[in-house]
Amino acid sequence: MPNIKIDGIDFEAPEGWTILEAAKFLGLGIPTLCYNEGLTSWGGCRLCVVEIGKDDNTRLVSSCTYLVEEGLNIRTASRRVVQARKVLIELLIASCPTSKTIQDLAAKFGVQKVRFKPDWEDCIYCGLCVRMCEEQMDAKAIGFVERGGKLRITTPFDRRSDVCRLCGACMYICPTCQLRCDGPNPQNLVCGGCLNTLQPTCLEYYDDYMCYEGLKGDCGTCIREEPEKINRKGE
Amino acid sequence: MKNLDSLRNKIIKESSSNLPCITISSGTCGQARGSLKVIQAFQDALEKHKLEDKIKIKVTGCHGFCEAEPNIIIYPDEIFYHNVIPEDAEEIILETVLNKKIIDRLIYSDMITGEKTPYFQDISFYKKQYRLIMGNNSLIDPTSIDDYLFVGGYKSLEKVLAQMNSEQVINAVKKSGLRGRGGGGFPTGYKWSFCRKAKGDFKYIICNADEGDPGAYMDRSLLEGNPHSVLEGMIIGAFAIGAREGWIYVREEYPLAVKNILLALNQARELGLLGKDILGSGFDFDIKIAKGAGAFVCGEETALIASIEGKRGVPRQRPPFPVQKGLHNKPTNINNVETWANIPLIIDKGADWFAGIGSEKSKGTKIFSLVGKVKDTGLVEVPMGISLREIIYDIGRGIPDGRRFKAVQTGGPSGGCIPKEMINLPIDYDSLTQAGSIMGSGGMIVMDENTCMVDIAKYFLTFLLDESCGKCLPCRKGIQKMLEIVTDITDGNGKEEDLETLEELAYVIKDTSLCGLGQTAPNSVLSTLRYFRQEYLDHINKKRCEAAVCKNIISSPCQHTCPIDTEAPLYIALIARKRYEESLDVIKKENPFASVVARVCHHPCESKCRAGEAGKPVAIRGLKRFVTDFGLKHGLCLKTDSAIDKNKEKVAIIGSGPAGLTCAFYLAKKGYQATVFEKLSVIGGMLMTAIPKFRLPREILNADLEFIKSSGFEIQTEKELGRDFTIQELYDQNFKAIFIATGGHQSWKLGIPGEDSKGVLYGLEVLKDINMDREIEVGKKVGIVGGGNSAVDAARALLRKGLSETVTIYYRRTINEMPAYQEEIDAALEEGIEIKFLTSPTKIISENGILKGCEFVKMELGEVDTSGRRKPVPIEGSEFVAELDNLVVAISEYPDTSFLDKGTELQVSEGGNIIVDPETLQTTQEGIFAGGDIVMASNTVIQAISAGKIASESIEQFLTGEEVKREYKLNRPSKYIEPLELSEEELQEIRSQIMPYLSPDERKSNFGEVEIGFEEEQAIKEAKLCLRCDLETKEGQQFLEELKKEKEEAR
Repeated sequence: MPNIKIDGIDFEAPEGWTILEAAKFLGLGIPTLCYNEGLTSWGGCRLCVVEIGKDDNTRLVSSCTYLVEEGLNIRTASRRVVQARKVLIELLIASCPTSKTIQDLAAKFGVQKVRFKPDWEDCIYCGLCVRMCEEQMDAKAIGFVERGGKLRITTPFDRRSDVCRLCGACMYICPTCQLRCDGPNPQNLVCGGCLNTLQPTCLEYYDDYMCYEGLKGDCGTCIREEPEKINRKGE
Repeated sequence: MKNLDSLRNKIIKESSSNLPCITISSGTCGQARGSLKVIQAFQDALEKHKLEDKIKIKVTGCHGFCEAEPNIIIYPDEIFYHNVIPEDAEEIILETVLNKKIIDRLIYSDMITGEKTPYFQDISFYKKQYRLIMGNNSLIDPTSIDDYLFVGGYKSLEKVLAQMNSEQVINAVKKSGLRGRGGGGFPTGYKWSFCRKAKGDFKYIICNADEGDPGAYMDRSLLEGNPHSVLEGMIIGAFAIGAREGWIYVREEYPLAVKNILLALNQARELGLLGKDILGSGFDFDIKIAKGAGAFVCGEETALIASIEGKRGVPRQRPPFPVQKGLHNKPTNINNVETWANIPLIIDKGADWFAGIGSEKSKGTKIFSLVGKVKDTGLVEVPMGISLREIIYDIGRGIPDGRRFKAVQTGGPSGGCIPKEMINLPIDYDSLTQAGSIMGSGGMIVMDENTCMVDIAKYFLTFLLDESCGKCLPCRKGIQKMLEIVTDITDGNGKEEDLETLEELAYVIKDTSLCGLGQTAPNSVLSTLRYFRQEYLDHINKKRCEAAVCKNIISSPCQHTCPIDTEAPLYIALIARKRYEESLDVIKKENPFASVVARVCHHPCESKCRAGEAGKPVAIRGLKRFVTDFGLKHGLCLKTDSAIDKNKEKVAIIGSGPAGLTCAFYLAKKGYQATVFEKLSVIGGMLMTAIPKFRLPREILNADLEFIKSSGFEIQTEKELGRDFTIQELYDQNFKAIFIATGGHQSWKLGIPGEDSKGVLYGLEVLKDINMDREIEVGKKVGIVGGGNSAVDAARALLRKGLSETVTIYYRRTINEMPAYQEEIDAALEEGIEIKFLTSPTKIISENGILKGCEFVKMELGEVDTSGRRKPVPIEGSEFVAELDNLVVAISEYPDTSFLDKGTELQVSEGGNIIVDPETLQTTQEGIFAGGDIVMASNTVIQAISAGKIASESIEQFLTGEEVKREYKLNRPSKYIEPLELSEEELQEIRSQIMPYLSPDERKSNFGEVEIGFEEEQAIKEAKLCLRCDLETKEGQQFLEELKKEKEEAR
């Protein structure tokens, strides 16, 4: 059982645990996006980075993939880590400003301005849907295609899938389309509304875009008032 | 244990090594330059003369000297012929091989000494190299294992199998200090040791031949030219580590390398060097090949492993490292091609020998690909620790086209730029990392003054964005956002905060990226920000790209480089369409001295002309002269209107040179009551007193002066500041602002003994006397010291006076460094003026105070200093005396500021220049401005005119109570002209026109104008050469779109 030190706490971690698991066990909060307990770790969003090492030899590693080792010295919120998280969240908002999950992260970690141009995308390529489909639903219908700026998640050759059972697990697990919000003020790109109020402000009214069941409110579950049609791009 | 000695002896006995042999460099690059046809030509020639048994031809891999491809080396004399064409083949065989005669045009000449040397080892490119790894490329045919055995191949393997155990091999590699040559620089011996110790009985070794860096091709050359050296290294490594299977992961884009490796593998298997029971040692090992599919990221070891396993080439986190869990989760040792190729050498010559080469922490040699703006490009193999200067200047022969060295980019897209100030940096892993770059795989891209560093950052970011695997957020999105910001900056939309944002983002990307690609991606931005931050700021604040590269900022490079924004593409396009009057309007709009400038400007525009990159630049100045001459001939635009308003303020301008007169002109056009005070009796400053009439005829100068005077400002001649009036008196007379443009007329003295002798003259005074038609006395032998325009002008003027027999210029550097305009130097030489280069005066010989001669010492060019130039150093004992009647000192001028009021707040620098804000020309005293030579030494005419214009803007701001601030905007032409459609015939005929000049005999005895000027037909043809760079901006493209639409609608 390797002995590690995490945020000053000495801990004998079980063999095969990751730093993230050890931190969670100890109640230390580390933000994650592409991590899910039930799926293999991907290490792509880099939000869970922590600082390991000593003196001049420190570096940041993703805690969801790094296995505990004897003598490991971990800091989950050092200055470098905090700075990294802020800029990563800025990048996430610039990718996908209309995700409540990401806007909540911004509010929680004090990101108030975004200095980059928004891309208004729908996907952050965290790969949760791919892993969900493969590992939990045993279908392997979708995967990553191409690379770099052209990266996409789709079925092989963009053809309709023979193995997709329309289970909706990919949509369920997605952090960006799960709770799509009406979007922040386009000047700021940061909303902060949801964490600051008791009730979700813009999510009170569900329009047909947000309902992933495609029912447009016909099922009777959500509030039936006519939503204000706010254009997603804030135009 | 078997060995190959008997086979080796057989090969040596049968080899016809006493026969002359022509080795032809034929790697992929050689083939691209036509080596296959050359090979065929040689074979045909041998057949024709029935010499197949007497002379051998060997087709080898790359000899490394790319600039000289196709090239050959003739053994046994080792004669090197460069740029051989098929037509040369027969001559080479008959003359050189049979008759031992060297063919002059095919041998290499040394840059500095000019000496021609036929021997391969003496050529500057090869002299300082230490070609331990690449050397055999010139000796062996890569498709023949016999050749490899002949040069001693596989002896190291035999030694390892017969005499050493794996511990000893690993220790030898550790002791040698070899570090990974792929870029990481990790000590190879230690990596092998970790892999050996890892748990598991099945291990792999991999050769990483996925050389993806743009501009790096060392590994390709090794694999194409000497694949067995890599194989031998791998077999030895497999033995040491205990691996049973090896892989070579080679780029699909290297078909010749793949072909040669496959051949080599088969040959090795046939001889029992691969497979089971290698050479009877009981050791089994074989190698397979995996080809890449065009992904740069697969050079990263974990992505490479994924690729071999058939998965997407996406890296994963380390630990676990490949040496513990690699290919198929087994311990795997990955090394670069060059690293493997070093192994047989270490075994053969010993670890201590190897550790004796290189620097303290970086041992051995490294192959660099020296490319870019350097005269001799190619692959250079040098010991670690050699300086950048030696590689770029001694091996590469420096920067071509007389341009200045700016920076060198090392390490590919993951590396950084090293500026010219660090030219003495020793090249090794640690020094490069400290400087903010990395060694990488060895790419070395040399850049000159025409390279924009912001554009370079943009280029590498674009490359990396495309090649990123996309897995992790900071790399995929972060690089995209960095690219967006840098693109905004190069489009002229940058803000100063952008630099801070870039840096913050860059450090986070470095910190959080999953693999080496992302971690090093920001290096191009960070290193250019570190060393060239001012360039970024200039793009943002001043909308300036000095290198004239960023299209949306500069529009066309000529307009951007011109200090007064002359719209060259517009006036040239109008000439091409015969609209000369409109063209004249465009020129005169921004330039009151149009005709003068058309004669004497040093045309910085032409130095950046895009047409000049592949030939001669468009004759922008010559075309301007054609239009201004046309205007004068037809009496066009000879005068302008006066707009002087008696209610507007009075402004005093001191000095009537180009700066002063331009300022007065523009102030008058704005309505201000400008008055010019001139010390002499004539106006025009140096235009009148220093530039000789054969360069600037009086009628031309007077025409422009008349035009300028017609704007209505007052001129008072023979009024000297300090003698006739003071600055305070100007204020008393109600002048509200003052512009000081008195120029720099004090000649520097040489500072050598005897300078006060009679007969020592000063260049500027000689020119003034000749220009003002005063009597001068000079003797038969005149010497002139200096290399600038005043020296050359003085020499040519004295020659025309006809009083002397010989006029000789003495300059302390070479013609390449001489600051005078190239055209003037060429003209002077044609007229019979001798220039003695690398000569400097030491003392004046005089009798009774009269000059009799001068002692000179010969100089030689020493090392390149941090300014990028070679410093001249005197050669001891080389002094000689030249008999002279006069010595003219023309080594530059400085301003005299003694006329300034005592106790003013005007600050003057140590050199005597008035200190001003460089952007607004405001001095340290409010309301007083200064420009021209009095501010900056050796200003040019066009810069002085620019200073006058800027001063007039600043003065207006001052007088209207606004903040005195320079405003910058993007260059754009005031309108777009439709591009000419040239017919096929016209395109074929288009040529640069030759400017007609008087012949030397016609001109050297009189002061008539030397240049004749283009004929109309010539001008139109020359104007058609313009590439219309102004149409490449967003607005230019829009204009073309609209034109297209209009044409379609008209149909």
